Amino acid sequence: MRSVKILLLLVCCTPLLSQAQLLKKLKDKANQVAEKIGEKKAEETTGVDNSQNGTNGSSGSTTGSTAGRRNNKGGAGLISTPPDVKENLTTAETSFTSAKYSEARYAIQQAMLGVELEIGQAILKSLPQAINELKYEASADQVTSTGWGWAGLTIYREYNKDDKQLRFSISNNAAWMQAINMYFNNVGYAQNTGGEQKWKQTKLHGLRAVIEYDANSGYKLSVPLGQTSMLIFEGVNFANEQEFMKSAEQIDVEKIRQQLGEK
Amino acid sequence: MKKLSILFLSFLVIIAAQAQNDFKKQLGDARTAYAAGKLDDSRFAMQQMLYELDMITGKEVLKLLPAKMNEQAAVAKLDNVSGASGFTGVIIHREWGKESKYSDTAANHNIEMEVISNSPMIAAVNGLLSLPLIGNTGDNKVVKIAGYKALVTRVDQGDNKYNYDLQLPLNNSLITLKAPGLTQDQVIKLANTIPVQEIAKMLQ
Repeated sequence: MRSVKILLLLVCCTPLLSQAQLLKKLKDKANQVAEKIGEKKAEETTGVDNSQNGTNGSSGSTTGSTAGRRNNKGGAGLISTPPDVKENLTTAETSFTSAKYSEARYAIQQAMLGVELEIGQAILKSLPQAINELKYEASADQVTSTGWGWAGLTIYREYNKDDKQLRFSISNNAAWMQAINMYFNNVGYAQNTGGEQKWKQTKLHGLRAVIEYDANSGYKLSVPLGQTSMLIFEGVNFANEQEFMKSAEQIDVEKIRQQLGEK
Repeated sequence: MKKLSILFLSFLVIIAAQAQNDFKKQLGDARTAYAAGKLDDSRFAMQQMLYELDMITGKEVLKLLPAKMNEQAAVAKLDNVSGASGFTGVIIHREWGKESKYSDTAANHNIEMEVISNSPMIAAVNGLLSLPLIGNTGDNKVVKIAGYKALVTRVDQGDNKYNYDLQLPLNNSLITLKAPGLTQDQVIKLANTIPVQEIAKMLQ
């Protein structure tokens, strides 16, 4: 009797199950058609053929929408406009008088940024155009400044010839100085590390400096200047230490010191 | 007592006026040096201006803070603005309670508030605030003070006693409130009396 009841129930449910399956199939078909129409419309509007993207319908539609984003092909970029120092000082004064301290602060920071960029440009101008056979790379010249704070002012120049390169940078910030002074002041840093000489103390134009050599990156000379500045020379494919030092000596360190206001 | 207060207020006014004069002097120096092409001197004068401005701003923030907290009056003598602009940050300090030979609030039981600009702790606090699952575990709890997210940390004092410190990041500054002996709810209630939005406006 019980098995007859189950049989009867199955017979009743079968049309329901097949109906549900049919509905699901219809829904899937409808989705596929809708996706295809959507893709076609997207292709028409963007002009991008999405048929090559993805392997099945659903992934194709996803990649299609991403590929629909246009890539930038050109543009003049941003204009480098150093902040106007005089104007910002006037803004600082008026903001300060009307007790708008945060605005005054921002204006001073902008003025400082303007002055630092001017200092950087002036230093770059004073550097030699060539060092021995190496010519300076105008497009690599760089002056970076945050206007204030620990990041400070950074000036960068490159001299190249074939695979030989001399990179010169000036960092004007106190944080670097602690690192280099560690070499000078800590006797624990023995001159010889292992069997190979990796670094040693030296002098450049009478200033104490540290020279390092690494088989992969070449020579590096760090020269602290005054209280907060650091000159860094990096030489790639120089024959020896003497050749690298002679190139570094061609930079007028004294003039840079004056321009940075270092004592 | 009243005379003393007047004397102290006059002292504050004189200091503020001095700071304003210093700012104007540095501004003049910056302009003259710049006009003469002495760029580094001009930059130095501007750094000094920033410092003066931070001191003035700090004193203005102190003026915004409540005169009383938890029925305790502010200890004007302990009001302090110190530090340097830039890397280390400026510290604005106020205490409510009484003068004590102990500078640590856990010992003197004063309520203490500090605003530190460019605080190195900001990244850590913001990290905890942005991850509520971590921020609300163990000894930490994320709350809202005047619409700003803040972190309350339970500090074990031994003998089953706890203090609750509240840290609220504000742009690049960090407000810290310490109220030894008070419950977490009391500390949150006190924090809600701090004019956070006005301080944010002043420090932005």
